[in-house]
Amino acid sequence: MSTDEREADRRARFEELARELIDPLRRFLARRTDPATADDVLSDTLLVCWRRQDDVPDNALPWAYGVARNCLANAQRGERRHLRLAAKISVVAPPDQATRAPDAADDVLLEAMAALRPEDAELLRLWAWEQLTPAEIATVLEVSPNAASIRLHRAREKLRDELRKIQQESGHEQSREGSGS
Amino acid sequence: MSDEHDELRARMRAADPASSLPRSDPDRVARLLEDIMSDTQTAEPRTDGTPKRSPLIWLAAAAVVVILAGAGAFAVMNRGQDSRTPTASPQDSTTTTELRAPGAGATTGRCLPPSAEALSGANIAFDGTVEKIDNDLVTLRTTHWYAGSPTDLVTVKGPSQELQQLLVAVDFQDGGRYLVAASNGGRVMVCGFSDEFSPKLQQLYAQAFGQ
Repeated sequence: MSTDEREADRRARFEELARELIDPLRRFLARRTDPATADDVLSDTLLVCWRRQDDVPDNALPWAYGVARNCLANAQRGERRHLRLAAKISVVAPPDQATRAPDAADDVLLEAMAALRPEDAELLRLWAWEQLTPAEIATVLEVSPNAASIRLHRAREKLRDELRKIQQESGHEQSREGSGS
Repeated sequence: MSDEHDELRARMRAADPASSLPRSDPDRVARLLEDIMSDTQTAEPRTDGTPKRSPLIWLAAAAVVVILAGAGAFAVMNRGQDSRTPTASPQDSTTTTELRAPGAGATTGRCLPPSAEALSGANIAFDGTVEKIDNDLVTLRTTHWYAGSPTDLVTVKGPSQELQQLLVAVDFQDGGRYLVAASNGGRVMVCGFSDEFSPKLQQLYAQAFGQ
């Protein structure tokens, strides 16, 4: 194969890979950052995939999520350090400009997610939104599958606890409001 | 237990902020991929510290060379001049306009969404169907001219690697219908200006050239 042919082959393989990855990556990023940052990080992520094409495993998506996660962390470290606290506080609530949640926003759920540790909330997002298996979550987070499985189990328990807590509290509030005015 | 999990997962999924994210626009995807692949391609051999190109620099840089030939009778090379006048061969009634692929690295930098305003700067623009793809030559038979003096055929010629870049950028397929624009120097405009025929792109061409 000539150099040109190899280059063309490399391009063709990348295009195929990228077309598979783009929409899942866009959703991944839309769930975690504002649209402008999402666009930048999508480019960065695909550039890494292009440069490291030979390292991409067969099940490319979890690996690519891991890359996107690192690229996003870099972008946020570099440019938005001062916003990190805010991001931490509203872990799950996407920034204002991010794609809107469905109309009937589940405020209770969002509040419960926000009350979790960021690591736990991220595990749950990978599980519920990206719909990954514990083994795939392990690839994204670069931990062992066993650790991912255990942490996911705990994170779900914590989320349930938070949901219960909030529901109880809001129950009280409603009764207060009812009797107050 | 697993029902409980399913329920929790379903509740989270219902709150997925990306559920209303529209599918990616194929034109934007094509430009993005082109951008990425050319970025590395030029970044690697480029060790001379050449500064990063600004957004539409390739458009300005594109004004270089036009080759106009009539059935190989002669070729005229003009630099930096408007030389869109096609040359008909005295022997052959088939007229051909020759265009060039953008130079390697021409697509480095980000593409802006194609606008009628930017497109109107093109002095060659046509609607045509790919008749033939050879190693370094794509031949299109034109059906409609938006700008430039009409010829029957248009060939896009370039060094192989550059053409590869163009093939990726425009994705010329044998038999496919395309809208193609070239700027002052006869270099094909990529970044979504030249692309497979679509009503949307046709509208942009019509708008740009007042048709």
